[in-house]
Amino acid sequence: MASGVITNSIRTLRFLNNEMTQKQLAQEIGVTRQTVMAIEANKYSPSLEVAFKIATVFKLPLEEIFQYQHSSD
Amino acid sequence: MTRSAALKEFLQSISFREVTLSIDLLVSTYIGYFYLKNVFSASSEQLASPVWLSELLLQVIIYSIVLMVISYIVLAFISDDELEQPLDVREKQISLVGYKYTTYILQTGICIAIFQYQAHAQGFGPSIEYNIPFLPLHIMVCAFLLAEITNYATQLYKGRTGAIYG
Repeated sequence: MASGVITNSIRTLRFLNNEMTQKQLAQEIGVTRQTVMAIEANKYSPSLEVAFKIATVFKLPLEEIFQYQHSSD
Repeated sequence: MTRSAALKEFLQSISFREVTLSIDLLVSTYIGYFYLKNVFSASSEQLASPVWLSELLLQVIIYSIVLMVISYIVLAFISDDELEQPLDVREKQISLVGYKYTTYILQTGICIAIFQYQAHAQGFGPSIEYNIPFLPLHIMVCAFLLAEITNYATQLYKGRTGAIYG
């Protein structure tokens, strides 16, 4: 069965955006800092709404922030 | 990393919700300890007395309410309006996972209590063998307290590790 993992480059993008903190990003997208930490660590895939909010904050298309790495078992 | 630096990092990483859950967990654990301590230290006459049991259950309820109210008043003072903020999607999912385990434990507790009640009616089982009156009630109270503790512990664990479904 095919399976995959969603990775992201939020940590890098935060750094490139005036070293934005996790708390600042969390406030802008309306989640807790723990949720941002979990997303960055690839332990939690955000909802579509949160993903779009992150894309809006960084002014980038979704696919430049989130990558789906496909793997077949 | 030194111990003080690790502690500082841990305190910075802990969220207000985790503090709230930790207090709920501590209160539930204490109530469970209080209930079990009273049951295990009770004499046979006390265990057989409905009045003693009613008083114990009333104490458990009063202690639960008082401790929760006190803890939430303290939290309301130290919080920066965080107590009123709604849960985000991930926290709601973690909460649901916690309630899933709560449901399993409550269902198991009720099934065991019903089985125990039937066994007692048929003249066998631990309530007769060890002479424990009202055993189904004790089982249900323990299941309730265990379910609460599991709920808070699960939410804390899932919130800290980040992995909801793993």
